[in-house]
Amino acid sequence: MGFSWVKAGLVGLVAGFLSGLLGIGGGVIVVPGLVLLVGLDQYSAAATSVATIVLTASAALLAFGIGGSVDWPIAAAVLAGAVTGAWAGARYMHKVPEHVLAGVFTLVMAVAAIRMYF
Amino acid sequence: MLEIVGLLMLGLFAGTLAATLGVGGGIIFVPILVSAFGLAQLDAQGTSLAIIVPTAIVGAVTHARAGRINWKVFGVVGAVGILGAAGGALLAHSTDEDLLRQIFAVVLSILAVRMGLRTRRLWQASRAVDTG
Repeated sequence: MGFSWVKAGLVGLVAGFLSGLLGIGGGVIVVPGLVLLVGLDQYSAAATSVATIVLTASAALLAFGIGGSVDWPIAAAVLAGAVTGAWAGARYMHKVPEHVLAGVFTLVMAVAAIRMYF
Repeated sequence: MLEIVGLLMLGLFAGTLAATLGVGGGIIFVPILVSAFGLAQLDAQGTSLAIIVPTAIVGAVTHARAGRINWKVFGVVGAVGILGAAGGALLAHSTDEDLLRQIFAVVLSILAVRMGLRTRRLWQASRAVDTG
């Protein structure tokens, strides 16, 4: 597969910059960037994006943790569900057709864009 | 008890969506923790990050086992992304945040339209296969 270091770097730069600046996650930029610019399919773009989120969210948590503003009991309860969901989602993702995945993602992007206006 | 069930359901829903769509889930966690569970905005953001890290680790490991991660792209996007985030964080307090949010909203809207067009092409292609 043809792969452009410059295009991938551009996606990382824009996503990282905006998440550092506005405190939003990078996934909503990384996934369309990897699909439209780098040319990955929806599955590979989502999986690769999740892996980069491990890095960026860890860095943000370290920076944020100093403020001590994590509600751990709530985090623990949500986590029990979230980890199960993440495993199941990643395990059975290939059973979802790409056009359905792309459709749901577009919907989430539209919601994110609308929320940003307000 | 009811609250714990609600938090578990929130996690299950957002975790599944995050792993299959490739997002962190903050877009779901933060507003719900604020509106339904009464957390302050800053606490909701911190709590959301504390949920996202382990969730993304489990998602990434499962994706890696399925051979779905493009490691070269991950290396470039991850390395440049952390540098970009540090730069963004340094500038965060010295720029007009409302303007930035509007620029971001426009960028997102353009990307959403392009992803929507691509989705339509994928739907048409899948219908063509179905009907032979």
